[in-house]
Amino acid sequence: MKFKCLNMATAVATTAILGMAASNGIVPAYAQQEYEGVEINLLTRPGPVIAGRLEERGKEFTEMTGAVVNVTTVPFADVFQKLLTDWATGTNSIDVGVFASGWAIELQQGGLLANLQEFVDNDPEIALDDIAPYFREFNQKIDGDTYLLTIDGDFQMLYYRTDVLEELGLEPPQTWEEYLEVAEAANGKDMNGDGEADYGSCIFKKRNAQSFYAVMSVAAPYSQTQGTGQGFFFDTEDMTPLVNNEAWKAAFEFYKNSGEFGPPNELNHDIGDTRALMLSGRCALMLDWGDIGPLSIDEENSIVKDLVGASILPGSTQVLDRESGELVDCTAEICPNAIDGINHAPFAAFGGWSGAINANSDPEVIEAAYDFLSYMNEPAQSNVDVTIGWTGYNPYRISQFENTDTWVEAGFSPEFAESYLGAIGDSLNSPNMASDLRIPGTQNYEALVLDRELARYLAGEVDVDQALANIEEGWEEITEDFGREEQLESYKASLGITN
Amino acid sequence: MSSIPLEPSGTTGLRRWTEPARIGEMSPLGSILTYTILIFWSLFVLFPLYWIVITSFKLPLDVNAGPVYLPFVDFTPNLHAWRDLLVTGLGETSKPYFNSIIVALFSTVFCVLIGSMAAYALARIEYRPKFATIILFVLSLIAVSVAIGVYGVDWRIAAAIAVALLVLLSRALSNHFQRRVGNGDILFWMISQRILPPVVVIIPIYMMFQQVRLLDTYAALILCYTVVNLPIVVWLMHDFFRSIPIDLEESAALDGASRFFIFFDIVLPLAKVGLAAVTLLVMILSWNEYILALFLTTTNAQTMPILVAGMNAGERGILWWTMCVVILIMILPVVLMALILQRFIARGVLLGAVKG
Amino acid sequence: MAVSTIPASRTRGAGISEWFDRTSRHWFIWPAVIMILVFSLFPLIASLILAMSRIRLRAGGFNVRFVGFDNFEKQLFGSEQFHFLGTFSSISTLGWFVTIVIGLLLLYWIYAHLRRGNVWLPGMIGRLITAAMIFGLTLLFAATLLSGEQFGTLGVTLFYVGFGCGIQFVIGLGLAVVCAQPIRGRTFFRVVFFLPLMITPIGIGYAFRMLADTTKGPFSPVWQWFGLGDFAWAADPWAARIFIIIADSWQWIPFIFVILLAALENVPRDSVEAAHVDGASGWLIFREVTWPQIAPVAATVMLIRVIEAFKLVDLPNIMTSGGPGIATESMTLQAFFAWRAPDFGQSAAIAYLLLFVTVVLCVSFFNLVVMKRRAAEAI
Repeated sequence: MKFKCLNMATAVATTAILGMAASNGIVPAYAQQEYEGVEINLLTRPGPVIAGRLEERGKEFTEMTGAVVNVTTVPFADVFQKLLTDWATGTNSIDVGVFASGWAIELQQGGLLANLQEFVDNDPEIALDDIAPYFREFNQKIDGDTYLLTIDGDFQMLYYRTDVLEELGLEPPQTWEEYLEVAEAANGKDMNGDGEADYGSCIFKKRNAQSFYAVMSVAAPYSQTQGTGQGFFFDTEDMTPLVNNEAWKAAFEFYKNSGEFGPPNELNHDIGDTRALMLSGRCALMLDWGDIGPLSIDEENSIVKDLVGASILPGSTQVLDRESGELVDCTAEICPNAIDGINHAPFAAFGGWSGAINANSDPEVIEAAYDFLSYMNEPAQSNVDVTIGWTGYNPYRISQFENTDTWVEAGFSPEFAESYLGAIGDSLNSPNMASDLRIPGTQNYEALVLDRELARYLAGEVDVDQALANIEEGWEEITEDFGREEQLESYKASLGITN
Repeated sequence: MSSIPLEPSGTTGLRRWTEPARIGEMSPLGSILTYTILIFWSLFVLFPLYWIVITSFKLPLDVNAGPVYLPFVDFTPNLHAWRDLLVTGLGETSKPYFNSIIVALFSTVFCVLIGSMAAYALARIEYRPKFATIILFVLSLIAVSVAIGVYGVDWRIAAAIAVALLVLLSRALSNHFQRRVGNGDILFWMISQRILPPVVVIIPIYMMFQQVRLLDTYAALILCYTVVNLPIVVWLMHDFFRSIPIDLEESAALDGASRFFIFFDIVLPLAKVGLAAVTLLVMILSWNEYILALFLTTTNAQTMPILVAGMNAGERGILWWTMCVVILIMILPVVLMALILQRFIARGVLLGAVKG
Repeated sequence: MAVSTIPASRTRGAGISEWFDRTSRHWFIWPAVIMILVFSLFPLIASLILAMSRIRLRAGGFNVRFVGFDNFEKQLFGSEQFHFLGTFSSISTLGWFVTIVIGLLLLYWIYAHLRRGNVWLPGMIGRLITAAMIFGLTLLFAATLLSGEQFGTLGVTLFYVGFGCGIQFVIGLGLAVVCAQPIRGRTFFRVVFFLPLMITPIGIGYAFRMLADTTKGPFSPVWQWFGLGDFAWAADPWAARIFIIIADSWQWIPFIFVILLAALENVPRDSVEAAHVDGASGWLIFREVTWPQIAPVAATVMLIRVIEAFKLVDLPNIMTSGGPGIATESMTLQAFFAWRAPDFGQSAAIAYLLLFVTVVLCVSFFNLVVMKRRAAEAI
């Protein structure tokens, strides 16, 4: 699997280099003091996470090129609204937004994002072929052109306590069913030595937070088998929601059942709460983005240093037959990407923090802004940044998980570095990586409708069938509202399907 | 207070407990009850604050592993959060702090001044605007909004035309329609301006300020907070002014004092208690306002509440410790203000003037 | 009006200060009126336009498409009905009983008003609207809550307003009365009681979320001790709602307290002392002497408080995010979620529904309670 993919990457790299040679050998722009007097106003969420490193690298960038990078921050939940208002009303006080790539499509459709394809094509330093395929081909691109540069790669993985599983004589779960078995076995054990019973599973379930990302992570392997381009939200023929079926039902039920082995108030826990529980040694299993890796080795905040293992998100031996809406057993034909009969579809929840540039900024500012984002993205800088926990940056480049040295230097134990980077590699190299929804109205589909119905199901207000039917109805309504044809086009474009 | 002995109240045990020994004091039972209530409520109020204070001294691990209560006993206090905010991050903290102070002070002064004048006017002067004029005004405003919003007319031109039309038509129409509205209606109209939730009006307000190029300035926030809190000042001060006996003002008016003199030199000092309470309230409301501050500012005029909300690091969890530090340093100026106003109230001779 | 007095002053040609004095009635009120007009009326109209449209982002700005009452229809009858009004089922016996009792009471109220004679038509219409609104809300509660179904954000909002403000008024008044007594350490208690209002509402939301956490909050041992270690308040709709009201009360009782305390201190002391000398009991003095004097302020404070309570958004947003399910979601929070999506049209429509309910209830409160208090005071 892995090798095949690398070969592909090499092929891409060769063509990229050839293409570059053909255009013209452009010297890296920031080698000269050519942006004297240029100010780049950048908006993101408050530091030190994400913003802190942008500020530090901004100062370096100023020294090299003369361009000043002003980092402005607003609270996480308001970044998108703030950016939207600023750009759509023509205020244009902000030149660069660093935000979740999933939000970009709405801005791009509004004609508010600068197309970076030409810059990328002429940038010798960016090492495009080193960026993991999912991020290069899907996360950074809209409609086939690059509009974003990734600075942080986000996808979820499974984390487990190696000591607890060893004691129980269990292997890390490979499927969601096994996950529940392990969680049940571990639940009630004392895992941090304080004499109190701890929890088998910690998955955030708070409404209007991140819970819908988790349920999509569960639904993806039941639903998507044919590679990233297949998608698992809508039918690519007519935009029918693929949600009211056995796959999502299994995901919803798993999600609720996992609560039996979790903390009592899990319904009110967001990612921060579950992460804190994990770091204080109270969980055997958890779902999380890449952050918990670097966080767990920080002894000031964590008592589980070297006790954590990571693996690719569990998969499923049964997958959805889209014709009938039923689950069927995996075969080589149905699940071409399955490993040992288990279909994995690591879900790129949230997409990761990426930088995009305001199309209405001065051309000179756009150029300088691109050079700054490219500076953040390049291996020389990025490969250092991702090993530091407080930056909040997670790996998205192949060179970042190929080599464990930088990680061990950063304080990882060799075993954990191997497990962590192995899980990252497995996820990023999977051709069946599941893409988050990236079409206009994404927030409506996910944060408004899916999240609400999931919360109602967890609270027992509706049963699973009712919840899924409501989601289907709600999604159809949003699709109608935005225009079915337009949405279908965007959805296909986001999956890289061209007619 | 002089101690006037009560009427002979008998010496049965029960009465000794339920009757005060002197006027201006409380009965023993009453005082036990009173202090019980006071202390209970103080605990209820103070415990969350105590928790905020000790959390600001905790390490992340102390917060997350389960509750610890007593510094030095349960856990070792650590200054890391304070250091993050006040030493390494001083630059990022001091600017919004300064902004907040400027904005809160100025908007409070304007708001209390303008609001209490209007409140006094509504309490003492009868206004009877014509119903037709108001309808006309609203209609022209709608026309202006539609012209600007839908047809893209320049706002200066639209406003000028609307004002001209309004003046002409209102004179013509007012002779035909004589229905009038009263002070009570004006008062209710003012308070009704607070009903719409801010999220709904934020986009129009944002665009207004964008048109006049005031985004990200103190002026925008000061103006906004003044207007937003005006109804509260008008309403509360209106009631306080009404509770002041009118005799003094009448005699001053007979002596030929102007209305401005009466208001600033006679009425305002009498309404000191109410004025202090309202001032404090308005200051707190401006000090803590979040959503307008978020949208009307970018880099230069950001205020403190944005810093608090920023401590929720979204998908990376909440930084409880630094958040608690921000909350604490935000309370300080308000407590200071409350103490100053408290002294100011206590020194004033409250109702002496009425009797004299 | 303004136009009619200015020429008069010009003919006399008096000094500027005299002119200012003569036109003072305008100088006193116009600054406030103009500011409110500019900043409130325009956004009000703009958001009405929003409520009747779908907004899309297009190159160079927003694209507004007029859709009439679609947004409102969706909330009241369409796919969002369960969310806004609640889930309906056939009304239970209890539901019918309550509906009929309230209906009869309202009929009697109107009948009593009619019998008094001297009916003013607008006043009558107002009463009919009030009665219709109350009856409609009763029916809503009967068809949802009393019939074992869930009520929507409208019901939750009314619960916060009715129950929350009620409690806050009683406790706030009680504390103000206690603090107006001659007690030691007055300043201390007053400042302490006032403290919660000084904290930024967002901060309060987070602080209470921390306090209520059953795994790492300060009360977790208490929970365990009561054998409630596995009880999840966050999963129980009523526990979560009550919990939000506790936080809201913690924050807003000081507001009621400080204003009522100022009002109590404005009550002339001699009248209270006179009553004391006459041997009246404390309760009687309060009811007959003190209360009538602070009643107008109390009514005002409650009106302001009720309006703010209708807009409650920070606390449920931070503490529960509207969960479990939609059990703690207020109307403003619903509008807020829609706005963030971003679906400005729906958001504005919800806000206008809120405006409608609030205005009808507040106008009723104003005309039937505040004005009556004022009238009584005038006599």
